[in-house]
Amino acid sequence: MGRPRTFDEQAVLASAGALFVRLGYASTSVDDLVTALGLHRGSLYQAFGSKRGLFVAALRRDVDAGLPELPPETDEAVASTALDLLLVAVLELAPHDSEVQGLVSAAVAVLADRYPALGPDGPATLLGRRLLARAGHASAPQPSRPGRT
Amino acid sequence: MARITTTDDRLTVELRGLSRLWALRKGVTAPLAHVRGATADPGARREPKGRRSPGLHVPGIAAVGTFHRDGARTLWEVYRGERAVVIQLSDEPYDRIVVEVHDPRAVVEQINRAVAQRA
Repeated sequence: MGRPRTFDEQAVLASAGALFVRLGYASTSVDDLVTALGLHRGSLYQAFGSKRGLFVAALRRDVDAGLPELPPETDEAVASTALDLLLVAVLELAPHDSEVQGLVSAAVAVLADRYPALGPDGPATLLGRRLLARAGHASAPQPSRPGRT
Repeated sequence: MARITTTDDRLTVELRGLSRLWALRKGVTAPLAHVRGATADPGARREPKGRRSPGLHVPGIAAVGTFHRDGARTLWEVYRGERAVVIQLSDEPYDRIVVEVHDPRAVVEQINRAVAQRA
């Protein structure tokens, strides 16, 4: 048992997602989370079970919301916390975490749906471009597609 | 250092040596269905422990035993605390277990994987 929850869960998940994006999953300590979220350590464990539980909840919130605030398809340099959190999930957790794998699949379906003009490889293109943009590498301008002027 | 083992459906945390004496327990076992997750958390050692019953508490040196704080019942076995792992439980006599292990990263992965496979 423990005290009832007295914090704004949505705000906590948004802040946690932003912190995981900034520091990476492995490097984010519970000390970092407790400080940034303004939660007691006990409340964090009581509400989310573990650091992993908090990450999964933050990712699930974004996926359930249809990955809010995605960049326009032509400008991957526009920062999107939802997209970047997905990248952290893909790189750090998904390889050995089946629940995160499921969320990644759901997110990829959302991306395919959102960017039909990019074709079947749209999600891969978008994530790859965003990864390079985060590294300071600007993508080449997109070639004009056949059938368009 | 505690020894932590998982089977298909149970988690067992075994105290060793003098810790058993201070805590008046050999350890804790719980079904994986009641394990909410594990986290490597070296900062946990600086948390206020609360009221002990029974246990040993020498602030900064050792916290071993059953402690109550904010309505939560926690089993602590922390000496230096750099390798502390926090395990959150539900519907168990203990709400939380904070123990030191040799390889926190491996133990955390082992527990979280066992929980996920069961789910």
